[in-house]
Amino acid sequence: MAEADPGDPFSRVLLGFARELRAAGLRVGTGDALSYLAAMTPLDPTDLVDLYWAGRATLLSRHEDETSYDQVFRRYFLGEDAALRGQPTFTAESVAKAEAALVMPGPEPATENDEEQPVLGWMASDVDALKHRSFTACTPEELAALRRIMTRMRLTPPRRRTRRTEPSPAGTEPDLRATIRESMRMHGEPPGRLFFRRRKTKLRPLILVLDVSGSMAAYSRHLLQFAHTARHAAARPAAGRVEVFCFGSRLTRITRELTHQRVDVALDQAARTVADWDGGTRIGRSLDELVRTWGRGGLCRGGVVVICSDGLDRGDPEVLALAMERLARLSHRIVWLNPHKGDDPNFRPSTLGMMVAAPHIDLLLSGHDLASLEELAGRLPALN
Amino acid sequence: MQYPATVAELTRQLRNGGYLADRGLATTLLLSLSLHRPVLLEGEVGVGKTEVAKVLADVFGRKLIRLQCYEGISTSQALYEWDYARQMLQIRALSAAEATDETSVDRLFGPKFLLERPLLEAVRQGDQAVLLIDEVDRADDEFEAFLLEVLSDFQISIPELGTVKAASNPVVILTSNRTRELHDALRRRCLYHWIGYPTAEREAEIVAIREPAAAGQLVGKVVAAVQRLRELDMAKPPGVAETIDWVRTLGVLGETELTPDAAGDTLGAVVKDRDDLDLVRDNLAEIISGG
Repeated sequence: MAEADPGDPFSRVLLGFARELRAAGLRVGTGDALSYLAAMTPLDPTDLVDLYWAGRATLLSRHEDETSYDQVFRRYFLGEDAALRGQPTFTAESVAKAEAALVMPGPEPATENDEEQPVLGWMASDVDALKHRSFTACTPEELAALRRIMTRMRLTPPRRRTRRTEPSPAGTEPDLRATIRESMRMHGEPPGRLFFRRRKTKLRPLILVLDVSGSMAAYSRHLLQFAHTARHAAARPAAGRVEVFCFGSRLTRITRELTHQRVDVALDQAARTVADWDGGTRIGRSLDELVRTWGRGGLCRGGVVVICSDGLDRGDPEVLALAMERLARLSHRIVWLNPHKGDDPNFRPSTLGMMVAAPHIDLLLSGHDLASLEELAGRLPALN
Repeated sequence: MQYPATVAELTRQLRNGGYLADRGLATTLLLSLSLHRPVLLEGEVGVGKTEVAKVLADVFGRKLIRLQCYEGISTSQALYEWDYARQMLQIRALSAAEATDETSVDRLFGPKFLLERPLLEAVRQGDQAVLLIDEVDRADDEFEAFLLEVLSDFQISIPELGTVKAASNPVVILTSNRTRELHDALRRRCLYHWIGYPTAEREAEIVAIREPAAAGQLVGKVVAAVQRLRELDMAKPPGVAETIDWVRTLGVLGETELTPDAAGDTLGAVVKDRDDLDLVRDNLAEIISGG
């Protein structure tokens, strides 16, 4: 095929494949599809292997999407039923269970702005009482109000110095470029003063690791909201990086799911990704996975890790101890939110998991009510 | 030397250069050469991402231009910089009459005082260059946006000199270790390929090409041991580079067999983490015996 003409039957087949991928949830742009057509020029379009690899190179841009790609490819070009191979089959029971556990906060009214004023007025009088009420004791209306307050909270991790510099009169490194420029303005005379630069600062990455197992589900839902706010704020320029993980029996990364603008869409998507809201907690294994698959690549390096869990670990405490030790070495600071701590200032960790993790925790907060989340937001910037 | 037109030919030539590319990688590279698109390579550590660019440059007689990314890399380190010290000296050396001359200022901002950095050099060289942008995930986001601009047009504007445009695009290879998510816009611009760990047979072939002096039997043993290491629950599983290192280390010591003693002495070539070392030492006998 010499020309990539979208009208000829062969191109239609290829474009159809791109459409199928899109239907399977992959992000395939028109430009990608055109690249795929163009890719057939140097290759042999009748060779299935060429079709496959050309598509992988042009239509995919993420390692995670490879499984979906393979399934769609098999279905589209080989006519195989993807559900029969590769894809794990869910029994009706497990699906029902998963759905039953996925009680996300109720959908927000679409017209948020119309409603905001009266709610705010109501909140102003009750806000203090509400702040100190445990999430589990709140009525749905109160929870909705809390969620609105949360969307206004900002998580600001501590800052660190970067390698980049900016002009600054109080800086310490001489700015040769600016100095010479000034000198040239004066026909090569040495300038009257030196210009300086100093190192810029940048927010440290923030890594939220939320326990979504049975014992923690009630709290984690609100923390998901919190995570969404933080994640969404991070999309703005100059904000730090925010990564969000959920764990129960295993670890799931939901950072990308939480980038959606609307809270409920994002939370729904995140919930769909987290497949194990089944009540079992393996903190050690999950943190170990975090360190291995993500931490090793450098995702936690120099960051502030916020773990929210009650420390009821069903796994081997030694795994947890090792994972925490590694995580502590990788990250800058570890903050642990344990809702069971409550408002008790003399709280001593009682669960084995908490005791094992304690030596590596820099800051232990409760996170069971809004006031404690505010405390987190307040103390985070000072965690230097 | 011209770039080849078929996948088979490209694979053959890369092999001559000492690199075993599988079908997927070879296809991606061929597409990159014929569609003039950058390639984004991701994969485990030590599977030969950087090596691809080196071999491409080597085999086809292109100049390898490497831009190692790091946090805080700025345009003056990636694009160009004026040689201020020389400019200053030049100004001081000018007589008063020369200084008022229009052309002397122009000369100050001429090519003589321009320090080329990798990206500008690559644009100048055009298709005579292979541009390797290594570990792009280490640079900060702002740099990525800037890179995007260069990669789409292959032209660089220098206010004092004008615009430099590539007559023909260089081959561009980007590598990433996934320490952070790259922006979609950059991914879009590139062809994507994931390099995983090779199978045992393939890894043995790779080692044989890289270390032709090593005995086939030893290579087989080492590769089998490394493959088992990867199955262990290690914090830093060894890559292909470590396998090659291990074979080389054993070769230097004159070992022809992978005995427990020899393996124990040279473990540092493959295992790079203390916890892993403890784990491996406990299981050393099984690992090297194949049991």
